Amino acid sequence: MKRTIQLGQDLPILGSDVVASGPYHAIACDSKGCTSTAFQVLPSSPARLSFLVHPSRVPVSAANAINATALVFDRFHNTVLAPTTVEFHFSSEGATAYTRSLTTLRGIAWLRVGSTSKQGPLRVVASVGETAEPRVIQQVASEACGLRMQAISLPRSVTLQTDPIRDCSGNPLPDGTVVSFTKIDDAGRSTVDIPIKKGVATTQFSVSGRARISLACGVVLGNEISIGGPRR
Amino acid sequence: MTQRPHILRCLGLLVLACLTLVSYSDFSASSVHASSLPRVTLNAESIGPRPIEHRTGETVTRDYAQAWQDLAESLDANRTDLLDDYFTGEARSRLTQRISEQQKIGLRTRYVDHGHQVKAVFYSPDGGEMQLEDQAQIEVQVLDGQNTIHITNSSHKYLVLMTPGADRWYVRSLEPVPDDAF
Repeated sequence: MKRTIQLGQDLPILGSDVVASGPYHAIACDSKGCTSTAFQVLPSSPARLSFLVHPSRVPVSAANAINATALVFDRFHNTVLAPTTVEFHFSSEGATAYTRSLTTLRGIAWLRVGSTSKQGPLRVVASVGETAEPRVIQQVASEACGLRMQAISLPRSVTLQTDPIRDCSGNPLPDGTVVSFTKIDDAGRSTVDIPIKKGVATTQFSVSGRARISLACGVVLGNEISIGGPRR
Repeated sequence: MTQRPHILRCLGLLVLACLTLVSYSDFSASSVHASSLPRVTLNAESIGPRPIEHRTGETVTRDYAQAWQDLAESLDANRTDLLDDYFTGEARSRLTQRISEQQKIGLRTRYVDHGHQVKAVFYSPDGGEMQLEDQAQIEVQVLDGQNTIHITNSSHKYLVLMTPGADRWYVRSLEPVPDDAF
């Protein structure tokens, strides 16, 4: 800003003219030259939060899988350098809600927590005074646990169906998750990928002679079934 | 008699010559100095909670130097378009506003950059934000038309927030802080 002034008069500076914190220089010039003085504008009180939570989806019961970082600003978006307490509140259906309080360092507070054992939304709210920023993380079922299938043998084929597929905490794996059935028989090796539908995966193989059929979902192996005679 | 006071943000500066990577000895310290870029030395010994990868350190150092070069050119020429490559968010908004104000009152700011000692102090676990403390030696010249009305040559401290983009790190926040801030 630039103003023409009269000597001997006060020079009011509006707050709206110095919304950015930091050092300023006031330079006064006349026909003989210029002179200057410096002054410092400090951040105001905490009024804004920038809150980042990662990831947006996380498997259940995963230790230290959730990162939350809060940056504290005043209402003019200057970083609040003074140590400030930020509260992080975690809540989800079927789990006990809890709060962690942290003090900022250079305007930043962060923490790492694990997910709960129940799938569903986990609500995370960071707050400073009256300012609160909510975020939601989707907790999804983890890897399959106790993966098993049943077989119904027909004259030249076999129908396979898994038991309801759940993780070790009892959360059903979402429909669309791929399950792989692999058959090895006299005709060779054959694998088919089937998405889970209504909690189970179903497929049918034609069988030539004796066959061995195995099951996998992600990194988890299920049971193995032999059909058409004793296993070699 | 009348006086014309000018109130100016005291930000950074620079000027140098050819692009040369001086040293990338390890993860904790890297520097960039080119004839056209300001000298930036990055120390990441105390960074946390995530350690900085070697390549990330190089990139941050180079991009921060580029940002300062663009900042100096944009404030000297009063061109906001020069901020497009390495600034984003609040940093870009504030510099754009500052250039707009300079244009309005016929001022320019020239930075002569004597180098930045940058300490990386925070790198978020997900790699989404990095906070830097910059101690810069900068000569700041304020020009009213063709007349230099103010010169300071001193140390300036900045608190910087950088965030990664597709192919570079952007300066998202660049705040001058008091001498005792760090």
